[in-house]
Amino acid sequence: MNHARDRATVPPQAGIGLRHPHLPAFLAARQPVAWLEIHSENYLASGGPRLAALERLRGDYPLSGHGVGLSLGSAEGLDPAHLARLRALYDRLAPELVSEHLAWSTAPDGTFLADLLPLPYTDEALDTVAANVGRAQEALGRRLLVENPSTYLRFREADWDEAGFLSELVRRAGCGLLLDVNNLYVSAANGGDDPLASLERLPLAAVGEIHIAGHARVATPVGELLIDDHGSTVAEPVWTLLRAVLARTGPRPVLVEWDTDIPELPVLLAEAARAELHLREMDDAAD
Amino acid sequence: MRLIELQARMRQTLLTGGSPDPELLALLADPPPQRERRLAVYRNNVRHALLSVLEAAFPVVRELIGAECFTAVALTFVARRPPRAPVLYAYGGELADFLADFQSLAELPWLADVARLEWARNEALFAADREPLQPKRLAAVPAAELPGLRLTLHPSARLLESAWPIHSIWDAHQPGGGALEAVDLGRAETALIWRQGGAVRQRAPGPGEAALLAAFALECPLAEAAETAAARDPNLDLSAVLARLLADGVLAQST
Repeated sequence: MNHARDRATVPPQAGIGLRHPHLPAFLAARQPVAWLEIHSENYLASGGPRLAALERLRGDYPLSGHGVGLSLGSAEGLDPAHLARLRALYDRLAPELVSEHLAWSTAPDGTFLADLLPLPYTDEALDTVAANVGRAQEALGRRLLVENPSTYLRFREADWDEAGFLSELVRRAGCGLLLDVNNLYVSAANGGDDPLASLERLPLAAVGEIHIAGHARVATPVGELLIDDHGSTVAEPVWTLLRAVLARTGPRPVLVEWDTDIPELPVLLAEAARAELHLREMDDAAD
Repeated sequence: MRLIELQARMRQTLLTGGSPDPELLALLADPPPQRERRLAVYRNNVRHALLSVLEAAFPVVRELIGAECFTAVALTFVARRPPRAPVLYAYGGELADFLADFQSLAELPWLADVARLEWARNEALFAADREPLQPKRLAAVPAAELPGLRLTLHPSARLLESAWPIHSIWDAHQPGGGALEAVDLGRAETALIWRQGGAVRQRAPGPGEAALLAAFALECPLAEAAETAAARDPNLDLSAVLARLLADGVLAQST
């Protein structure tokens, strides 16, 4: 379908993830946020009020389609039926950005596990993911941004570290990077790494979008783990890391994600306003 | 270990509550005392995500059997019938049959049908959009053509026949609904579920109207549908029933 606005990109400003409880507020009035992101899988239904609401909002906000189910890391390859569903949705909505995760969620028997599961960073996994990204970009007719995951474990067998794996993936598949700063922080903390050192080794020129979100700290009998639950405000060290990222990438679209214990919309908009402030600081520094 | 085998092993470990696969734990780089705990984060995520989907789709079933029992049953369902596609709003359609086969729930014989009703509500929310049949469209049909006219149900409409009072049981669990004690458990009910103006609606048509709707669902000609309905309920006021169905947006014209 045709949309009133003609635009090719999401602006390098702050956006928020559109969640069902906030649909009425968005339908009632224009909200002070530069762009929206959806979880694509939530809008694959044939019809109904949610899809209708999104169609209405589409004309007013630049849009990013964030897939959570394509399973780029599946050894068995991608599900053609799911690729076709996503293609139909993206053709209908024409999102300016489309992203997926460096993870797997569909098992070899076709079971969907509803989580972003970790990959061993081996040559075999790199071949798999690069082939799957290539196939997805072809089937969707769009360049993908691939998001760095939050991880809670690492595999012994590894030919690459995560930054090296992502750099090589970007080079081979020609995809972009969705840099999730909270994931970068969480994974580094859980793996005992320095997030700044990882940051320096990521393919930052390929960053097309940035995510920030809250995480939880969970004490376990064997030490603390950070859990990427998207259930609170962004932690201070993540804001600090975001500024370090922006200083290297320059202004990029920054998205605030919130998925559990979803608060009233103003709480989310305040987080986006703070992200916007950090983006403006970059502009000022550049002047 | 090949990636495909690793993923098959993780699938087994993540969906079940038992102790994790030792061969999988041996693949992890983290210190041995931490491995199980780290893998458990993913297991909790997987099970919690799927449990949440079922809790959202089956709130009345959950109230009927209690939160604790629902969690136990739902996690067993998750382990045995996990989703086959990354489309979670479509996950849970098999729960009703699963509940029907669950021996320890046999003392609530209506439970499976209440689950079917809640699933029909879920389907109605996501069903295809279509303009309902407008009363003026029907009024414009020449009288001679009315008996042969084929109507059908709106894509969101579901008709659920049960040996139990499923609509009344469901209604008793809604804010402002009837009292559960007042429900006559010996009474059979058919529930009609449909979407109007973006909201899912539901009521219990009487036997005559239910027969009429069942005939419309089969796209029988209007005269035949009316005859079937009259056979079930000779006192059925056909024009009043039709007017209400049209006003409620339950009907569509057969294509």
